[in-house]
Amino acid sequence: MSQPSALPATDLNRRSFMTGTVSAVAAVPLLGSPAKAETAGRSDTGPREPAVTSLRINKQPYELSLDPRTSLLDALRDHAGLTGTKKGCDHGQCGACTVLVDGKRVLSCLSFAVMNGGKEVTTIEGLSSTDGVLHPMQQAFVDHDAFQCGYCTPGQIMSAIGCVNEGHAGSEDDIREFMSGNICRCAAYPNIVAAIIQARDETKGA
Amino acid sequence: MDAAAPKPKENMGEPLPRIDARLKVTGQAHYPADLPTANIAYGALATSSIAKGRVTKLHLDDARAVPGLLDIVTYGDMDKFERPKFGNTGATSIGPLHDRTIFHDGQIIALAVAETFEAAEEAAQLIRADYEEEKPTASFDSPGTKTIPAAGKSPLFKEDVKAGDFEAAYAAAPVKIDQRYSTPTQHHNPIELFSTTAMWEGDRLIVHEPSQNVTGWKVELARQLKIDPARVRIVSPYIGGAFGSKGPMTTRTAIVAVAAKRLGRPVRCVTSRMQAFGTQTYRAETRHRIRIGAGKDGRITAFAHEGWEVTSRPDAYVVGGTSATGRMYDYGSVLTHVSLVQADRNTPGYMRSPPETPYVYALENAMDEMAVALGMDPVEFRRINEPKTEPIGKKPFSSRSLIQCYEQAADAFGWAKRDPKVGAMRDGDWLIGMGCATAIYPTAAAPCAARVRLTVDGGVRVQCSSHEIGTGVRTVAAQMAAERLGAGIDKVEVEMGDSSLPPAPVSGGSISTASVCSAVLKACDAIRTKLFAAATGEGSSLAGSHNEELDVRGGKIVAKSGASAKVEDVFKTMQVGAIEEYAEFAPKSATPQALKKLYAGQPEFHGGESDEESVKYAFGAEFVEVRVNSYTKEIRVPRIVGAFAAGRIMNTRTARSQLMGGMIWGIGQALHEATEVDRRYARYVNRDLQDYLVPVNADIKDLQVILVPEVDHAVNPAGVKGLGELGNVGTAAAVASAVYHATGKRIRDLPIRIEQLIT
Repeated sequence: MSQPSALPATDLNRRSFMTGTVSAVAAVPLLGSPAKAETAGRSDTGPREPAVTSLRINKQPYELSLDPRTSLLDALRDHAGLTGTKKGCDHGQCGACTVLVDGKRVLSCLSFAVMNGGKEVTTIEGLSSTDGVLHPMQQAFVDHDAFQCGYCTPGQIMSAIGCVNEGHAGSEDDIREFMSGNICRCAAYPNIVAAIIQARDETKGA
Repeated sequence: MDAAAPKPKENMGEPLPRIDARLKVTGQAHYPADLPTANIAYGALATSSIAKGRVTKLHLDDARAVPGLLDIVTYGDMDKFERPKFGNTGATSIGPLHDRTIFHDGQIIALAVAETFEAAEEAAQLIRADYEEEKPTASFDSPGTKTIPAAGKSPLFKEDVKAGDFEAAYAAAPVKIDQRYSTPTQHHNPIELFSTTAMWEGDRLIVHEPSQNVTGWKVELARQLKIDPARVRIVSPYIGGAFGSKGPMTTRTAIVAVAAKRLGRPVRCVTSRMQAFGTQTYRAETRHRIRIGAGKDGRITAFAHEGWEVTSRPDAYVVGGTSATGRMYDYGSVLTHVSLVQADRNTPGYMRSPPETPYVYALENAMDEMAVALGMDPVEFRRINEPKTEPIGKKPFSSRSLIQCYEQAADAFGWAKRDPKVGAMRDGDWLIGMGCATAIYPTAAAPCAARVRLTVDGGVRVQCSSHEIGTGVRTVAAQMAAERLGAGIDKVEVEMGDSSLPPAPVSGGSISTASVCSAVLKACDAIRTKLFAAATGEGSSLAGSHNEELDVRGGKIVAKSGASAKVEDVFKTMQVGAIEEYAEFAPKSATPQALKKLYAGQPEFHGGESDEESVKYAFGAEFVEVRVNSYTKEIRVPRIVGAFAAGRIMNTRTARSQLMGGMIWGIGQALHEATEVDRRYARYVNRDLQDYLVPVNADIKDLQVILVPEVDHAVNPAGVKGLGELGNVGTAAAVASAVYHATGKRIRDLPIRIEQLIT
């Protein structure tokens, strides 16, 4: 099964960030007692010191003071007040937190907020136009009853837009394959495929 | 216009889009953990790393040193509160912080609360425990299990049903089978994580938590915290999938409420996916032995079904699906027995069609084996054994459209083109197999209250504390009100998921549409009666008309004669701006205490096998095509057709979606889902969505749902049979039958995986 890209293209990915953090802490005991190490670990460069993070979300600028360990998902939900993006696993396994970063689908639970400075983040709240007209993908999900409980739906819709933009919606089989990183436990899958085909055809050439 | 909106047939409502569809596609449907809460603190659970023993010491210093840590709730902090109770409202009697005894792996040992989610997680992970560890018993066949009879251990499973002399009939039968089947541990894994947000306003407690039973939880949480239930409010406006997992309240809720009280500020605890495997309920593994004896003509003369189910040490959770399997066909004689097997595990609980999923899987797999033994077409075998009355109490079925389901599904599937010979159908490297099975689910209803308000501008407001878990219950309640009050669906607002609204029963057992719609119907009819009384007064255009000649349509009261009066004008006559009615519905067979019990959060279920005059079930038939790669043994399901009859269908769109979701669940049961238990440590191994496999989009291709018309006035006033759980009953057996047809291998232990076909 293919997964949507978990990480945006950047030098600072989760692996290098974690490695950096771990080595810094590991080096500390050489300086003295564990108590001192604790203090040193919490210096300005420590992982817990709030970092002012500038984000552009749905074309609006946000300045958030965040624990650097805050995921993009938690920044959206708990700090920017945009709860349309959902947490389903926090492990990049379910797709519920999918957002677009610079137009590409990204699992926001696998991306630290601080990695997204200067990028354009689009969430479900940013899709419909200001006059309330739904994005063709949102309307297609309504038309085809492409959800039941609705919890995975924001992630499905963001992922579906990414799927079409990537050119991975050519056939039903392609859609099934490239949408398999988004789990729908209510299992609206056939309706999701039908919705994506409708929206794909409506937005063709747009 | 498309497959999602089937054209209504007889006794079916319009496929209206969900009234909350727009909210759900714009991110504006608020699930409990989305509800804005000021000044919130974050909680994270610490859980045990052993399955059996005792916590001798907790090490909290490292956790307390985490900057931003606010509090740790642990042993001693819950002592002044009541222990949880096991039952329909409570998931377990284990009070994890009342008692240092560890009953299962992943048991809560503390709750860390901090200023941020990150700090709370860090602190929880730094909490360490010392244990006095004992060797745990994991499951069937582990040393130390205790096996007890299930009958009488649960109010929902009173007896092992039986009829006639099974032993004699089985001994005399010329064709017979005696086989064993099993189903694995499964976890619901709704995509919404489990969460509790608790806040106090003075002595009042508000809890935001995804719940299928807000009224029951209000009462149970108040009991545990020793406060008046009137001071507790449970809010759960939208639920991100439930499937039974959010029916009983877990022990976390009271712990978070206590943390919020101690801190004097709201606390939110979102359980991690991994921790949910041990802190929530699940479907326990089951085993079955089935014996069927029949004459050479295919008529069954003897049927025995023995079941074994795993449960926890302290709680006797029973599913007992023999109540349904023992009544499925015209068996002649029936013998059943269900046993509970106690192990060191968390207490299991309801999961979508709790009794039927495992028990009907075993029965229907056995029925297919029996058809093979008889050399008979499996559809014909079921037709021959179609009963006129159920074999246990000899009661009639209130309605039973199983054969119509088989006929319509077989026709759509192309069953006639199946070559019955094993391995005879092939497409290149792929072996093709076709199988079928019966779906059955008891039809019940429970007492329910609703308030409906009609205003002079034609607006309708429906209030009922039922729960929108994705079934579309808001939409069908709106449809019922719109139909009875002649309003457009866009004029109807529905409020649900809040214990301050009129009480509804737990949204489980496929009872919600029947119960809620019956209450809404009753409230609407009381409004109609008032309108009609005013409209037929002396001097009015409808004077002298009788109520049964009147209807409300398009803002008018219309008589059969063609005369009409505007509702707006009737309101003027009445000199009111609104009519509001509060209705309490109780099923016909309800006890005199039924309504009182509803308000106490203990709703009575009526229907299924319990009614005097008839038994009540919904039925369906499912046909599956599988393709098995002859080299790799990969199994695919390219095609599945299900036909279902469930009385009045309120909305063909939401009904089809529920049945479709159920059928896909069934494919998951057949091929994917299993929680693996490490037998050494009684610990779940695959505690995430990467290793706990559920169907994804690429697993599903052609799927067809056929709604078979059926009219049944006996079930409830709304004439509705539930169907949320019907769709995934039988599917796994149909897949197993198809795999046998393709390969000649009869797989009796779920899930069916490549490794079983390679050997």
